Amino acid sequence: MKIAVVGKGGAGKTTTAAVLARTLARAGHRVVALDCDTNPNLGLSLGLGLDTTEALISLRDKVGDDVGHARSWNEIVARFGADAPDGVRLAVVSKIEDPDYGCP
Amino acid sequence: MRVAFVGKGGAGKSVVAGTFCRMLARTTSRGVVAIDSDPLPGLAFSLGVPSTDTQLPQDLVEKVGDDPASRWQLRPGMTVLEAVERYTLEAPDGVRFLQFGKLRGHVVAVGPSQQAFRVIVRELAETDLHLVGDLPGGTRQPFLGWIGFAEMVVVVAEATPSSMLSARRLARLADADGGRQVVAVANKTADPGDANVLQRFSGLRVVGEVPRDPAVGAAERAGVSLLDLAPTSPAAEAVSSLVDSLTDAMTKETS
Repeated sequence: MKIAVVGKGGAGKTTTAAVLARTLARAGHRVVALDCDTNPNLGLSLGLGLDTTEALISLRDKVGDDVGHARSWNEIVARFGADAPDGVRLAVVSKIEDPDYGCP
Repeated sequence: MRVAFVGKGGAGKSVVAGTFCRMLARTTSRGVVAIDSDPLPGLAFSLGVPSTDTQLPQDLVEKVGDDPASRWQLRPGMTVLEAVERYTLEAPDGVRFLQFGKLRGHVVAVGPSQQAFRVIVRELAETDLHLVGDLPGGTRQPFLGWIGFAEMVVVVAEATPSSMLSARRLARLADADGGRQVVAVANKTADPGDANVLQRFSGLRVVGEVPRDPAVGAAERAGVSLLDLAPTSPAAEAVSSLVDSLTDAMTKETS
């Protein structure tokens, strides 16, 4: 099952996504939580805490220097993700190169 | 003054910005233009404007040359003040409401109407009108061409980890963008220490505080301005005093 949670700012997207992810994981599913928000806070709602949430984001800045790019989605999740409670695996995948003016 | 309100989605930018516009208009002899560059509705409700979707006419601007990178300009004979007079909506307290236009498809088409919005905002910054912008939520969009008009960026944030994390990112981005004063407003405060927590975490000077107030939620649910539903509510009073605080902050910076 692949679910995307969308909505206006403040509607509760991140909280809903985090609770869904952990609830599914508790029911025995393998869950990957993808934070696609350009202002990524899903780690906080999953229960990872400030430091880990920040570390996941700044990780992206290192790619290209001594850290090589991942070749596949699986590799992104494995190498650049973090383990959240209940066995949820979180990856931040919101970086968009050269977004256009007016791009939502 | 030319200020841009930014912050995480749900931080309360639109409510603060809309209420601020009207309170500013009550205290100034110069005009106030409310600039809504958020492609999702919000500011129209908090200002108390009936229409949430207006667009500027396509023939308001013309392209200078065929180069895609060339700048647009107002059509000959049109001035920015006339464009504001004719093509913005009148909001309560005499505020003029200028709107980028709302989402109609999967993406916002950047056509002549959107270019007209940019040209008007650019030229308004050269006038003596007060400009108050309600910018798109989050951290990416505000710095993609939306914030150029502002001399001050106001980060609206709650004293919650996610809101303050966003505030800290916005502070860094604003700093990297350069040339503008950046301050914060603590919104929906529930504890006397909230403003301090935000100030410490974000590194921004907190110039105002708006308390958590059920009147704000009531106005949002009713789709009306806080000033029309509960003009003497604590939140409305707090935004009112923000007019003085921001004026002070700006004077300090320039003197």
